[in-house]
Amino acid sequence: SSGSARKADYVYFDRTTAGFSDDAVPKAKGAQLKLEHFYNVAVTAAVERNARRVDLERRLQADGSTSEERKARHLQQLGRKESTFLRLRRTKLGLDDFRTVKVIGKGAFGEVRLVQKKDTGKIYALKSLHKEEMLKKEQLAHVRAERDVLAEADSPWVVQLFYSFQDPINLYLVMEFLPGGDLMTMLIKYDTFSEDVTRFYIAECVLAIQAVHDLGFIHRDIKPDNILIDKDGHIKLSDFGLSTGFHKQHDSNYYQKLLDSSNGVQSPTVATQSSRNSVMVNSINLTMTSKDQIATWKANRRKLAYSTVGTPDYIAPEIFMQKGYGKECDWWSLGAIMFECLIGYPPFCSENTHDTYKKIMQWPQYLLFPNDVHLSREAEDLVRRLITSADRRLTIDQLKQHPFFYGVDWETIRQIESPFIPRLRSMTDTSYFPTDELEQVPEELSQEGGNSSKDLAFLGYTFKRFSVSSHAF
Amino acid sequence: SSSQQKPLYLCSPFVESALVKGNFKTIVMLPKYVDIMEWVAVNIFDFYTNLNEFYGVITEFCTQHHCPTMAAGPTLNYTWINQERKSVQLAAPYYIDYVMTWVENLINDESVFPTKSNQEFHNSFPSTVKHVYRQLLRVFAHIYHAHYPQILHLRSEPHFNSLFAHFLAFGREYELLEMKDVRGSSSSPVGIGALYEKWREMGILEG
Ligand SMILES: Nc1ncnc2c1ncn2[C@@H]1O[C@H](COP(=O)(O)OP(=O)(O)OP(=O)(O)O)[C@@H](O)[C@H]1O
Repeated sequence: SSGSARKADYVYFDRTTAGFSDDAVPKAKGAQLKLEHFYNVAVTAAVERNARRVDLERRLQADGSTSEERKARHLQQLGRKESTFLRLRRTKLGLDDFRTVKVIGKGAFGEVRLVQKKDTGKIYALKSLHKEEMLKKEQLAHVRAERDVLAEADSPWVVQLFYSFQDPINLYLVMEFLPGGDLMTMLIKYDTFSEDVTRFYIAECVLAIQAVHDLGFIHRDIKPDNILIDKDGHIKLSDFGLSTGFHKQHDSNYYQKLLDSSNGVQSPTVATQSSRNSVMVNSINLTMTSKDQIATWKANRRKLAYSTVGTPDYIAPEIFMQKGYGKECDWWSLGAIMFECLIGYPPFCSENTHDTYKKIMQWPQYLLFPNDVHLSREAEDLVRRLITSADRRLTIDQLKQHPFFYGVDWETIRQIESPFIPRLRSMTDTSYFPTDELEQVPEELSQEGGNSSKDLAFLGYTFKRFSVSSHAF
Repeated sequence: SSSQQKPLYLCSPFVESALVKGNFKTIVMLPKYVDIMEWVAVNIFDFYTNLNEFYGVITEFCTQHHCPTMAAGPTLNYTWINQERKSVQLAAPYYIDYVMTWVENLINDESVFPTKSNQEFHNSFPSTVKHVYRQLLRVFAHIYHAHYPQILHLRSEPHFNSLFAHFLAFGREYELLEMKDVRGSSSSPVGIGALYEKWREMGILEG
């Protein structure tokens, strides 16, 4: 029988790694992981490629008006696209392929540079992320999230990612360059927006956040730094699950410590004291004009954006509580941004992140509209319906119906003229970026050193977009 | 005993061990409308990269001392054709280093493996690839023959088996694989020839 045949063949082998060098085992593990990843990707790619073909074939079949010859051409075109994509897989892109034009932004783990691809002359934004820093801060899951969302999204509301690669030191994301800067820079420039201008940006943000939710993601860290402005003045969201506001805070220990220091120690006497505290803060709000507040806020804003701790100003309270949260948390952030657009600073801004955090946790006491700024009833009402407990927050449908958005045409808003259209002198105009403040950053990225065991943690990071459109490399 | 004569890679449970279950057809077949040159090129590129990873793992055992010849069977040693077109015996590490360097250089040669968007494949690409395939097959053959115990100690046999089975399936599909290279001659059979037959019986490889 086959059972006994099998037995005859069967051998026992004593496995041991004695006699191997120290790196043999990790190296073997590395090779195994890489191969597993390789086959996972190979199968997924085959399935997706097949789906693209079947989809096109079906559409062509259903189309009675196109000639057979043209249909054949369409299919050949798809084949060419797929072939170019395969070629791209063999193409090793590296830092050498890009020339830095200017550093245009800074984040917790590295910079964003305006770069030009040397051979094609095409312009991109190149974001670098320092691996070791990310490992220290346990940002791995986040990188994956960012990569995945950016890679999958093909939405006008989301910054397009074309390519990613890595060297021993950094991960790199090659994205479309949005020349209009970000909403943070714009708010620093203008202090506040009129209600009409605010309506435009907030309405666009509503659609952008909806697009992210429709992709099945929660952004979790929407803030003005991540709202980028394209060449026509319309917005796009960047930075999924990877933003300063979140780096340090994501570390659950960090949150736990904050929670302990704010609640844990709260004996009844401390509780009364804390309510007295709130009175004190109230008085600050009253004595300090909103102009002064704006000035203090602005003085610190960029520093906050560049720090690893980042600003928790826009983060919803339920995220701090670690009891789970849903996509409603993004609508809270939008409420905080709307407040800032109209008032000039976010609702819970404080001297330090710890106080901000405390104010967010006790938001009913701290959500205050200053007397010296006039807001329409609708505007204040909308803010209050976003900055509220998660179960009371407006849903996407209720939001779009809110009187503040009266007159907004949700279908066409991206096509209408934006209130601020960037005036650009060239493809590489960086006048909308605070490039002076970024001058300390070295112009060229270094890529020496590092050890390769780090790379494994970032396995699967390298991404090549299937889009052989006008933008292909 | 019989296990002494029979190489470990032919024995149960190692011969059945696989990372990828099922048929390789989905990932071997030429996708419809896709240029066959691009398809073969990217696959050869991947085989090279993946094989290199695994060779890198066992290289500390593939030394001039352990492997004075490029052996792939009890009576088979591959020879290298040197610059004077003479066939010479090389220690396996040197032989393999020559192969891998040669392939790497080809892959990075824009005129052989073009990556620029307007660069076409040369007419000689199919025959070049066939040479590459043949040399990579020899590297697999040597590892199976001389280093399979190390693969087992490192628990890498499911991975390495699947990589090789995929490589064979691919070679069959695109006529890169010569049966005589798998089997060798009757006086000096290639060890992996028996593995090939076994996998065919087991349905891991097709006809
Ligand atoms: N695609 C882009 N086009 C133009 N500017 C960009 C682009 N991406 C980022 N920037 C600029 O760089 C700044 C920092 O980018 P980003 O917020 O993505 O960095 P980061 O390292 O992820 O920081 P953080 O994680 O703290 O958000 C942005 O505020 C923006 O001004």
